[in-house]
Amino acid sequence: MFDIILQAGASVLLDPLTLGLMAIGTLAGLLAGAIPGFTIAMGVILTLPFTFGMSPIQGLATMMGVFVGGLSGGLMSGMLTGIPGTPSSVATTFDGFPMVRAGKPGLALGLGLWSSFFGGMISAVILVALAPQLAFLGLEFGPWDYFSLIIFALTITVSLSGDNMVKGLIAGLLGLFAACVGEDEINGVARFAFGSDYIRQGFAFLPVLIGLFAFSQLLSDVEDSRKAKAPLMAKTADPVRVEHRKAIALVIRNWINLFRSSFIGIFTGILPAAGGSISNILAYDQAKKAAKNRDEFGKGAVDGIIAPESANNATAGGALIMMMALGIPGDIVTAVMLGALMIHNIIPGPSFIQDEPMLAYGVFIAFFAAHFFMVGLQAFSLRLFLLVTKIPMYVLASVILAYCAIGVFALHNITFDIWVMFGFGVIGYFMRKLGFPLAPMILGVVLGKLAELNIARAIGTSDDYFLFLTRPWSLFFLLMAIVSILFPFYQNASKDSLFSKIYVPISMMVLSFPLFLMGSPVRMIIAAILLLTGSFLIYKRTVSFKTI
Amino acid sequence: MTNNKSDLIIAIFLLCFSGIMINDASNIRDLGFEGMKADAWPRVVLWMLVVMSSVMLGKSYFQFKTENHKDNSTFKINFSKFKNALLCFGMFIFFLSTLDYLGMLLGGIVFVFGLLTLLGGFSMKLGIKHLSISVLSIGFMWMVFTFGLRVMLPEGEILRVW
Repeated sequence: MFDIILQAGASVLLDPLTLGLMAIGTLAGLLAGAIPGFTIAMGVILTLPFTFGMSPIQGLATMMGVFVGGLSGGLMSGMLTGIPGTPSSVATTFDGFPMVRAGKPGLALGLGLWSSFFGGMISAVILVALAPQLAFLGLEFGPWDYFSLIIFALTITVSLSGDNMVKGLIAGLLGLFAACVGEDEINGVARFAFGSDYIRQGFAFLPVLIGLFAFSQLLSDVEDSRKAKAPLMAKTADPVRVEHRKAIALVIRNWINLFRSSFIGIFTGILPAAGGSISNILAYDQAKKAAKNRDEFGKGAVDGIIAPESANNATAGGALIMMMALGIPGDIVTAVMLGALMIHNIIPGPSFIQDEPMLAYGVFIAFFAAHFFMVGLQAFSLRLFLLVTKIPMYVLASVILAYCAIGVFALHNITFDIWVMFGFGVIGYFMRKLGFPLAPMILGVVLGKLAELNIARAIGTSDDYFLFLTRPWSLFFLLMAIVSILFPFYQNASKDSLFSKIYVPISMMVLSFPLFLMGSPVRMIIAAILLLTGSFLIYKRTVSFKTI
Repeated sequence: MTNNKSDLIIAIFLLCFSGIMINDASNIRDLGFEGMKADAWPRVVLWMLVVMSSVMLGKSYFQFKTENHKDNSTFKINFSKFKNALLCFGMFIFFLSTLDYLGMLLGGIVFVFGLLTLLGGFSMKLGIKHLSISVLSIGFMWMVFTFGLRVMLPEGEILRVW
């Protein structure tokens, strides 16, 4: 085990080309994260075509750099101009911007930078420790359990992706349908090809993804002619000297907040579809609730910067745990990573870490190393960021649209892929305009084939459909899917309603049932804790409900 | 166009789309093997799409009906709002249609220059700026992919003749 980690470490850290690619990736990520209108996912998607010619470890290390850089890049624009670069740095602006306005830009940036670093480091340790264990757990899964896990991943994406759940479900179903087009994996029969040999091959993952996400985003960015012609940011900032020593001391002094926020980030990342955009606000909220000086929040509180920044970087580690251990993407970025692995003919799953230990541990080490690059390149990227923000959006969008076409062509050397990207770009643009969330559709495209393969295996193994309900893991995930579908109703319900009072305890009690069925002592203890806590809460809340 | 009106139209469109695809699913060959047939999973997905689209149709219809008493405005689509997006679509279709003749290098330069001019406006100064941006950016990307990543980008008939 230890020698594999050493070998994987050497393949990443002792190869100058891999290190150079990671540095470029991190810089690109820092910029993509800093520019409002660009997202981390877009940065990773646009990096993907460059990785075709690289070895899997080089490609993944480059994308890991973009991922980590992107998470930290958002803080630059958020703090210096008050406009968050990415949704994962929204809460950073609450206290970062006031601190900058109070004349402490160096300290604000330093706090953000080092909180991101330490949050990432904590999640990297958890990633290395937890992913192999979770993968071990995943070996218990049969096709029934996998299918139910995919259903859970899709439903939680839908419930977290917007106000309109029906539109989210439709988007997810459209994604699943897009994955059905072309030859089916089991029988090799053409489906929905309408006589076209190109469609018979199915839609490649990359053109669909670039079209849905990057192409449609760029069209939205140039929609307003006046805004498109203006420089990217009206507000400009001056280069700042980051106060590293003071920031490190403050982050270490507030270690409880750092650890709490990092664990919130990791947990949010492990949940399928819940990414940094949620974790940074959750961590900020918890830090505020736990703080003695709550009044300082919103005025430049140190804890108000540490919490969201450590949480959003830790989310990356959490999302990677799910992807590496079970092959289920934690968010859109890891969905792209999954696609990148598939392009290199590697399919993550429970046996991935055992089958490809060099690659798996190489990814873990790249995640570690990318945080060091992020710290080292922040000052340089800040200067670049200030230059890039002077460019109007229509210039960037035109050039990137052409780049998308070249990048997509590079996948299979066929023009049809560019047409697919264009088609899905148009669909993605109108879906955005009509209020359909894109995340469920992307997850549907990524997981569609896997879902079909598993349900086919399940039916092929046994014609007993009740196995989906009688196998403990499958039942657990299906119940989780129901709980996640009801979550938006819980969020919208009034605090005094019966539903809002019983949702959490009933969910706990219901989820304890499949855990009891699993039989192992640890899981039965967890189930008992869930059941007892749920019963206690329901008793307490119904008593108070009757009193009202 | 109000949200309910557009939702109503989209729901009808989705129902038609699902109908066409369900109909096409009957053309999927059955090889006679045991286990799940090739058309089973797509049918499940499409029928679920029918259900969800019907829910969206019903929801938007009732909301539209309620709103309709207050709002008697005619159905209008504000095309000016989508002007830039439509320009991008047009330029991209032109780029793809001429790719076999112009190739990726020339076609890319024409595409970027055309789009920059359409979105950013035209003057002598801007024209020179846009031309430089398009030549430099596409030239750089073409070199990276051709020489760095060894991708055979479409050469185009014009350059091939030369």
